[in-house]
Amino acid sequence: MKRRVFVQNLAVSAALTAMAGCVRSATSSTSGATGSDIKVGILFSLTGGLEIVEKSMHDATLMAIEEINQAGGVLGRKLTPVIEDGASDPRIFAEKARKLLISDKVATVFGCYTGASVKAVLPVFTQQRGLLYYPTYAQGNECPSHAIYTGAVPNQQVSNFIPWIMKNLHAKRFFLVGSNYVFPREMAKVAKIMLKQNGGEFVADEYLPLNHTEWGPLVSKIKQLKPDAIFSNVVGTSTVAFYREFKNQGLKPEDIPICSTVTSEVETQAIGSEFVEGHYSSFPYFQSVSTPVNKDWVAKVKQKFGNNAVTHHAMECSYWQVHIFKQAAEKAQSLEPEKMRTASLGLEYEAPGGLVKIDPDNGNAWLTPRIGQCQADGQYKIVDEGKAPIKPLPYVAYGETTGNLYCTAKGLDTAKFKPQEQS
Amino acid sequence: MLSSILSGLSIGSVLLLVALGLTVIYGSMGIINMAHGELVMLGAYVTVFSERFLRLPFLLCLPLAFGVTAGLGLLIERVVVRRLYGRLLDTLLATWGIGIILQQVIRLSFGPELQNVSVPGFLTGEYRIGEVSLQAYRLAIFLVALALFAIALLILYRTDFGTQLRAVTQNPQISACNGINVNQIRSYTFALGSGLAGVAGVMVSGFNAVSPTMGTNYVVDSFIVVVVGGVSSLVGTVASSALLGSVNSVVAWMSNDVLAKVVLLGLAIAVIRFFPKGLFTIQSR
Amino acid sequence: MVSEMNLVKLKRFILSPYTLFIVAILIPPLFVVDPFWVNRLSLYLVFSVLALSMSLCWGYAGILSLGHGVFFGLGAYCMAMSLKLLSPDSLTQGTPFPLPDFIVWNTPPGEALKLPWLWVPFQNQWFGLVAALLVPALFAALVGWFVFYGSVSGVFISIITLSMVVILNLVIIDQQPLTNGFNGLNNLAMFNVGGFEFDPYGLPTYYLIAIACALTLLGTRWLTQTKAGLIFKAIQADEQRVKYFGYDIAAYKIFALSVSAMIAGLAGVLFVINSQYASPTIMDVTLSIAIVIWVAVGGRDSLIGAAVGAIAINAIQNVLSESESLINVWRLLLGILFLLVVMFLPKGLASLGSLLQRSPSVTTDTATPVEAVDSQPLKLLSQVEPRK
Repeated sequence: MKRRVFVQNLAVSAALTAMAGCVRSATSSTSGATGSDIKVGILFSLTGGLEIVEKSMHDATLMAIEEINQAGGVLGRKLTPVIEDGASDPRIFAEKARKLLISDKVATVFGCYTGASVKAVLPVFTQQRGLLYYPTYAQGNECPSHAIYTGAVPNQQVSNFIPWIMKNLHAKRFFLVGSNYVFPREMAKVAKIMLKQNGGEFVADEYLPLNHTEWGPLVSKIKQLKPDAIFSNVVGTSTVAFYREFKNQGLKPEDIPICSTVTSEVETQAIGSEFVEGHYSSFPYFQSVSTPVNKDWVAKVKQKFGNNAVTHHAMECSYWQVHIFKQAAEKAQSLEPEKMRTASLGLEYEAPGGLVKIDPDNGNAWLTPRIGQCQADGQYKIVDEGKAPIKPLPYVAYGETTGNLYCTAKGLDTAKFKPQEQS
Repeated sequence: MLSSILSGLSIGSVLLLVALGLTVIYGSMGIINMAHGELVMLGAYVTVFSERFLRLPFLLCLPLAFGVTAGLGLLIERVVVRRLYGRLLDTLLATWGIGIILQQVIRLSFGPELQNVSVPGFLTGEYRIGEVSLQAYRLAIFLVALALFAIALLILYRTDFGTQLRAVTQNPQISACNGINVNQIRSYTFALGSGLAGVAGVMVSGFNAVSPTMGTNYVVDSFIVVVVGGVSSLVGTVASSALLGSVNSVVAWMSNDVLAKVVLLGLAIAVIRFFPKGLFTIQSR
Repeated sequence: MVSEMNLVKLKRFILSPYTLFIVAILIPPLFVVDPFWVNRLSLYLVFSVLALSMSLCWGYAGILSLGHGVFFGLGAYCMAMSLKLLSPDSLTQGTPFPLPDFIVWNTPPGEALKLPWLWVPFQNQWFGLVAALLVPALFAALVGWFVFYGSVSGVFISIITLSMVVILNLVIIDQQPLTNGFNGLNNLAMFNVGGFEFDPYGLPTYYLIAIACALTLLGTRWLTQTKAGLIFKAIQADEQRVKYFGYDIAAYKIFALSVSAMIAGLAGVLFVINSQYASPTIMDVTLSIAIVIWVAVGGRDSLIGAAVGAIAINAIQNVLSESESLINVWRLLLGILFLLVVMFLPKGLASLGSLLQRSPSVTTDTATPVEAVDSQPLKLLSQVEPRK
């Protein structure tokens, strides 16, 4: 009996010591905040499924940090990345965001890909007065006070796309398809409003779970309804099954083009270019953009990650937003997140995709809309291109215009934003 | 209507393809192999590997994947499963652990990104026969699934190994008394089931995303097929794949794919509850 | 003489692993100053409550549920919805009643904004709390009634519960207008008792969770030592025999599953108070199986083992996934650890203690009679044996 008790005590005290270990590491990590290096958080999924896209964004962020450090750092101090793995789970994203802000006390966080993960971390950033640089195209309808969004919003991705499809592809009847979560549903809602404004119509809208693999029934539905075009917000691994099934059922891009706001070079590579060839995507950046800055950048990426590596919109934003952060810190002469956010507003940078600028009102980015058609080699031929970067309007579907802004530096103007009055 | 049936059959053949390996292992050994999905994944990565380094034609990957996954199955049985006979729930947990390990090993060696498997030209597009259009790839899946089924039947009912295996399934003790090397038979069975999963992986890689986590999608589907079909019967597996495929296709057509999936899972639960031996088990004696 | 007995008893009480565990979980905040770590340590305790629920269900009643995430998630969603309705962003939607922001997004243009009837009672936090305990328990009773009064046994229960979690996960994601789908519920109010707000990073929240954890531990221990607890063990040892004694086995199993589900619901409540968040990923297959792993590693038939297992695995997971060199391999290491434990320590790390000690005496202590448990897998196997 006695021995058993002893053994059990031993186990418990071992557990206690282990806990004490955590405690010590916890306290030491807080004291590490006051070094000469600047800690920045990097929060993308490195495991769990979404790393298929997010890994490249993570790499691009590290690449930019390395460049900045080689050029002397920020405010004369080196950047030290604190890398966290969001594990493709919004819950983990929120937990790691808390760790980065509260425990590591990072100056800023670069991260997030899915709308779900960003929605999970935003309250943490607001509560802790942190700063998030979010590099992914988003559905708009957000006016965050503690984040800078550097990806496209609907008026830079959809507003140009729908009229272009209707005019150049002679499409009137659209089939809307997407993964089943907020981003695709909200994008579909934006598309519906724009279809209405432009005199088009939609024949159906369908949402399938993320990672859905059996696309047979859906594609046969498309086949029977014979729409003029498909507006797709299918995300992640499902894209592979979707495009392959589409071609396997004998559908051709000349008859029914898939027009996507999600399928970029990285997805195309996985699907196989022979299945995507001829379909369209709308992004402010394609690897084929022919600016000297981009050629340089693509060469650097290939040199670093191998000849098979491709670049894409979210990856490009992940890269240049770090440079914006550097400018912001230097302009603010401070690493205080709220000051840095204010300083970020209005900054410009010559990114691979052309000049970008952080909007002084809503903290999204001025970007140049582009439409690309996939070629046999998996690269996109740019078939339509804006003349200059255009102002981001996250509430464009709800009537926001450059003359009537809903989201300003003061926050969302709820007197103007009336989601229910749109018809 | 006809197209709905055809689409049901094609979904069914995918189900049959991925579930066949599980039926063999579960039906004959009573082992729940949670790593089944990862073996399918491994088969898909054999295709990726062969395309990248060996440049073998797509169809040659089928035997190659069978060899690789069967070998691994043999190893898994010898090292892990064998130690856990009689501890059913532990086998379930252990094979799940193996699944995680396989996933991570593949992730570390091939990277986390989606892999692209190119499919020979004659397997894309569709063939038209009158009013009916048949997809080449789905047809190929159907044929491969049938061929595997036939091979599995042959092995089980026309070889010495099959006879011994059935004897071991019925009563391991008496089989052992009659000089059957029970352990060896079990290893080979596990290897056979794993090999079938690998072949399924090759076929799946041609029309679906290939990534380290792809397997999790298949393991639940396979279980539903096996449970509905009845654990001990290969024919039941075929019937249940066809049934589930049609149900899926019809429900997806009438409402949506989410509901179809929910109906399938609900069906599986109901079958377990009311027909614990499966819908298609032929009562022997 | 008597007083000496009492002294021995007192000493045993103080040195019992239960007391030590409870003292151990009350101490850390005295040393930890970093609010993030206070919060994270309390999250570990939430998971240990969840592990207790699994241990009760699996280790004691022999029901291996691969869908425990459902009960946890239902509890979390009930609580989270209440706190969502009390949060500032639900109160500032310009409606005369609190309305979550996602309902505004998800209402089709032109339709009137209204709170779905399902959520109307949840405007009261205490209703949410009670629902978070009762909904999982009732759901479990329903599942149990369906399953145990049939001839479903052993692994098939695992498969049914697994399917159950997949179904519920699909439904929650699909019913976006009601549940905010994949994005889940966030931006919640703090749990509020009489005007006192439980800040997730504060010590009061830690102690709230620690005390709940301690009470759960004592409660489950008490339950396992009642007659019902004995019958659970007896059912595991020989179901037929217990049946012939006239016990309604199914009723006992339903009872065990429901209590376990209610504890999982409690863990869901604590999770929401700790993390201010609920999403479909907390009621998915991955989490459900993770719970099984914690308990398997810690020791399925030892309550303390399960609780410590949950804390240990989560701590290891955090340490590994946050160390730069191991960030890529932590899942692999965890998989290997899990496999090794299942193969060589079937009763988990808790059995390390009894391995060292060879005395065959069966005590009234935590250890389950060894013979009884050993015969269980064989028993289960014979029930599952596909044909005769």
